[in-house]
Amino acid sequence: MFRNRGIAFKLIALVATAGGFIFLCVFGYSYLFSRRTIEKNIEESARNLALATVSRIEASLRSVQKIPLNARYLVESRPLDRAALVDLLLNLAENNQDIYGAAVAFEPGKGKNERGFAPYVYRKDRTIALTELASERIDYPLADWYQIPRELSQPEWSEPYYGEGQGKILRSTYSVPFYVTAKEQRHFGGVIAVDISLERLQDIVSSVKVLRTGYAFLISQNGTVVTHPRKELIMNATIFGMAEEAGDAGLRELGRRMIKGASGLAPLGPGPLGPASLMYYAPIPSNNWSLAVVFPVAELMSDVRRFNGIAAILAVAGLAALSGAVILIARSITRPLRAMVQATGRIAEGDLDAPLPVRMSGDEVGTLTKAFEDMRVSLKQYIGRLTETTAAKQAIESELKVARDIQMEIIPKKFPTFPEGTGVDIHAWIEPAREVGGDFYDFFFLDRSRLCAVIADVSDKGVPASLFMAVTKTLIKAKAALETAPGDVLTAVNEELAAGNGTNMFVTVFFAVLDIETGELLYANGGHNPPVLIRRDGTAGPVEKTGNPVVGVIEGIEYRTGQLILYPGDTLFMFTDGVTEAVNRGGELFGDERLLKEVSAAADPSPASRVAAVRNALARFSEGAPQADDITILAVRYAGPLQSEHTGQA
Amino acid sequence: MTVETRREKEITVAAITGRMDALTTSDVERTLMRLLDEGARTLLIDLGGLDYISSAGLRTLLAAAKRMKAQAGTMAFVNLKGHAKEVFEISGFYSLFTVYDSVESALERLGR
Repeated sequence: MFRNRGIAFKLIALVATAGGFIFLCVFGYSYLFSRRTIEKNIEESARNLALATVSRIEASLRSVQKIPLNARYLVESRPLDRAALVDLLLNLAENNQDIYGAAVAFEPGKGKNERGFAPYVYRKDRTIALTELASERIDYPLADWYQIPRELSQPEWSEPYYGEGQGKILRSTYSVPFYVTAKEQRHFGGVIAVDISLERLQDIVSSVKVLRTGYAFLISQNGTVVTHPRKELIMNATIFGMAEEAGDAGLRELGRRMIKGASGLAPLGPGPLGPASLMYYAPIPSNNWSLAVVFPVAELMSDVRRFNGIAAILAVAGLAALSGAVILIARSITRPLRAMVQATGRIAEGDLDAPLPVRMSGDEVGTLTKAFEDMRVSLKQYIGRLTETTAAKQAIESELKVARDIQMEIIPKKFPTFPEGTGVDIHAWIEPAREVGGDFYDFFFLDRSRLCAVIADVSDKGVPASLFMAVTKTLIKAKAALETAPGDVLTAVNEELAAGNGTNMFVTVFFAVLDIETGELLYANGGHNPPVLIRRDGTAGPVEKTGNPVVGVIEGIEYRTGQLILYPGDTLFMFTDGVTEAVNRGGELFGDERLLKEVSAAADPSPASRVAAVRNALARFSEGAPQADDITILAVRYAGPLQSEHTGQA
Repeated sequence: MTVETRREKEITVAAITGRMDALTTSDVERTLMRLLDEGARTLLIDLGGLDYISSAGLRTLLAAAKRMKAQAGTMAFVNLKGHAKEVFEISGFYSLFTVYDSVESALERLGR
């Protein structure tokens, strides 16, 4: 699919993918890095904030703790009457703004002191009020603030509680047990109790603000929520209750660690304490309560997220701009390319004048256009030349055809006819391997009774051979009229041809003169294949060699004249080496033996029949293999002496 | 078709093997002309390995012989067999050139 899309699409896809990938990598890294930095800062500031708050609370608690400890000394040192006790309490309340109320609660005795005795001062509308805790309504010895220090024999902060009667104020009481000595025995005398309003602690804790939604809260020793921005949780919920309700085992475990006095940073999932957040918790040493500071993660990360959002928008905008640029670049490439496609399409259809888009730029497309333009011009020139060459070749071919026609016309095609049983019977066949050839045959009468027969083969083919052949043929005919013996004719022809023959072209010639009256055959052979002599009875064999070489190269050769007597019915079968050296597809030569066999096996003894027999045999033999050499056959059968004045014409 | 040349004292021996036709004869022609250019005085052409020779091949041999004659050198053939021998007989080359049966006898005669 992708492969078939345009360049613009591919470029955009690749650039956008690569660009997007790079952007993602950068964003991912910067997000992780900033997140880690922020988390580290959170941990640091959470710890600092929590510890600072803890120490403020601790300082407040410690200053309160001193008050009853000091008072205990007074109470234990000497017995005080009621008025002195009240004075003491009023003094304490007036001098210590941190405390809400103070009491000295005596252990109830038996008899008259059955209900006990516990004067209590507390703040009420900017003044200090006095009351007696021992009443029918309130049984203070059963209260935690009294009971627990008594049992443990040590000062103790109470769990937070709402005081009864003296205003619904959430408070915690610090109770210090005191002892009296009577009858040499020291025994528990009661407790000195100081109340603090938890509003003060709440003020300290709620002063802790983290961003918009972060907050701090305080839980008591048993997990009760003492301060919390959500007022309804205060004293109504414990951290374990909330964990139970939400089924949050992590929160329960966290609560357990908190009340054990541990400190640390813990992640909080979304739950009863609000959305996902980080919480730092630390114990308050005095009363074993625990302070927790909650950092809203989402809010902390919101800056990072906003940054990422903006960055993503910038990235998308950047990629869009990049794609736009890519489209422009791709257009600048594809527009000329499309024009090129059209132009080259027209060139491909043969319109070599189709103009290519003009492009001045030196970039690759410009170079391509230039190369195409060069190609078009070259093609045009080449085709122009090809057309010229073809025309020239056609001219040469037509000239060759004319040459062939001329060559064929100078070879006699009309065979002489004589009355039955007299004269000679002649037949011939010539087949040049190319348009024009170097083979030829000829026959002509020197006078009434002497017939000249010539077969020759120039040592080449084509136009040079055909010229040499024409010269040779003319020379032989001319010399034949001047000389009597065939050997002398060839000697004369050889001298003429060899003089100044720079090409070393030669011709093999068999030249014979038959006297029709006597049957005497005189012949000369210049390096030619000896003809086959077929006697009337069918016996066949080569004409005896004269041992003379080819004609036209070496000067000064004396050609011998051979002699034979032909009897009526004898045939002289002359041929060129195109016959015996015809090659079949197996590379085998036709050969002399096959020729002897085929020429003897002709249907009838007429020259036409013998020529046809050899011709058919050659066709069968070559099996369509290309003809390598010119093939020429000339067959002359001697019929008998002439009987009258009648003479055949050539 | 290959032409291998070697020296036997003053005599250069060129052994032609394969077919000598219109296509391959130019190689032989080049080699023979080079030998003549190099001033070979006596050239012995060994045709023992020649399978076939066409008229173009004969022409090359004729040209070489003519040049050798012009340089007043000697050129002879040895080891004619089969087709080559037949062609030499038909074309009358026997009457034009000296032909020996073997390289040994030729060397003996030519070396004097």
